[in-house]
Amino acid sequence: MPTSDRSRPGGGRQDRNVLAVCDMAKAFGGLKVFNGISFRIEPGEVLGVIGPNGAGKTTLINVICGMLRPSSGTIQFDGGNIGGRSFHAVSRLGIVRSFQQTITFRTASVRENLTRAIRFSGSGGVAWAQIGELLDAFGLGPMLDEPSDSLPYGSQKILGLLMAYAANPKMLLLDEPAAGLESRERTRIDRLVLHAREHLGCGILIVEHDMDLIRRLCPRLIVLEAGGVLAQGAPEEVLARSDVIQAYLGQSEDEADRDAATRRTARAAH
Amino acid sequence: MDGLVTTAIIGLSLGVEYALLSLGFTLIFGILGVINFAHGGFYMIGGYAAYAAVHFAGMPFPAAVATAMLVTALLGYVCELLLIDRYVSDHLTPMMITLGLYLIISTALIVVFGPEPADFSFPIRGSLRSGGIYITYANLIVLLVCATVIAAVYLLMYRTDFGLALRAMADNREVATALGMRPAQYFPLAFGLATGLAGLTGALVTPTLTLSPFLGDSILGMSFLIVILGGLGSLGGAVIASFIVGIVEAYSRVYLGGSKGALALFVVVLIILVVRPNGLMGRIGRPA
Repeated sequence: MPTSDRSRPGGGRQDRNVLAVCDMAKAFGGLKVFNGISFRIEPGEVLGVIGPNGAGKTTLINVICGMLRPSSGTIQFDGGNIGGRSFHAVSRLGIVRSFQQTITFRTASVRENLTRAIRFSGSGGVAWAQIGELLDAFGLGPMLDEPSDSLPYGSQKILGLLMAYAANPKMLLLDEPAAGLESRERTRIDRLVLHAREHLGCGILIVEHDMDLIRRLCPRLIVLEAGGVLAQGAPEEVLARSDVIQAYLGQSEDEADRDAATRRTARAAH
Repeated sequence: MDGLVTTAIIGLSLGVEYALLSLGFTLIFGILGVINFAHGGFYMIGGYAAYAAVHFAGMPFPAAVATAMLVTALLGYVCELLLIDRYVSDHLTPMMITLGLYLIISTALIVVFGPEPADFSFPIRGSLRSGGIYITYANLIVLLVCATVIAAVYLLMYRTDFGLALRAMADNREVATALGMRPAQYFPLAFGLATGLAGLTGALVTPTLTLSPFLGDSILGMSFLIVILGGLGSLGGAVIASFIVGIVEAYSRVYLGGSKGALALFVVVLIILVVRPNGLMGRIGRPA
């Protein structure tokens, strides 16, 4: 099981805004989701996370952002251990997540959604002008005063991601940003991610099933499988490995779904 | 004609009292997702606290009302922090807790103040008569104070960062937390604000009507009716529904009388709910 030997718990100045997950395990009762995974994300780095359904990709984000406590191991950010700290405390440190479903303040306008994101963020949020550029690029400019739940699905999803951006994160965790979007809309994710990397300089973790998007955006990739990191490295290397293809790419979505369900049942039975 | 206008004024003043009462109820539901069965209890505590402040501490009435509001707000804050907070994400447990709280409050009031209605009346008597229009000074003052406080609540909710945060919490707790808001910081404050409003209404209104330890049920029932009519969790809906209920109640009491009056109110509410099942400003479902 390859683990990163670069993560140095308690590291100092080199760890500014670095996220280092070190030998982190998570179990729900007897069901082990992770048995010791490690990786590291530097500022400005985009890391892709893939794996079959049920491999724990969303759980990984939930543990990092504080919605779940790790069972063991450490999660370091900016040199301090954040494992087990509460959701809001982690987000005030600048680790901001998006959700797989579209989640915005439904009754509030687009403008108010973004205002709230800016106002409540631990770092004070980004300047309006900075989002304005993206709003226009995504066609949301004329819809600023519409209630967010009146927007089409794709725009709501983009708004959710823009809110994460507006919070001026130091580390951005994106949970399947492209899921449910048309291919035309998916290029917006590219633009948002590149914009965030360039203008905010934050590290970005992307959990995604869209391999094209992963190839476009992520110079480095980790594959989660059966509670561990099956492979990590550049997408072209990793995605060419036979064990990765076996675990993930060789299967259709349906097969992957069924397998994950079987695995879950098998684990739950233990 | 004068009768019509006077009845409208009675309806308006009832409406504004109901609005202040139900704002707190809908606030707690909207922000915490908790149905506060102790709402009527806090209304009574407000009445009795003002009564005690006037009769035992010799305070002037306005100071007594302010004290009553502070006491109920503080009590609500402490109750949320100690009893409700850890169960907020559950819907049934807070219901049982607030129901229990209500039983404790009403029993305690009987034990302390006795089962008889307290001798608590508004310090200003007399009434305003002008061109056949009639309103007691007491009702006029209550109307003005309630309207001012409702305006203040509106400003607090829509013009301050605190209100921005509370509304964000009400809209979607998960996103609000993801953006760095701390639920534990806002829930007790929201609960205290809501019970303070119930207490303030109790302190203002009971001296114009009656103060007894058995009021809580009907107050809770009325809050429920208004908040469901307005749409659960909606502040604007609660205010509009309060005026509808106040006006319907006033006219039906004057022109239909007694039990027919009460019946008319429920008929109107039923018809509105048939047309709009989620209430006037209600939305289908509620974000988790």
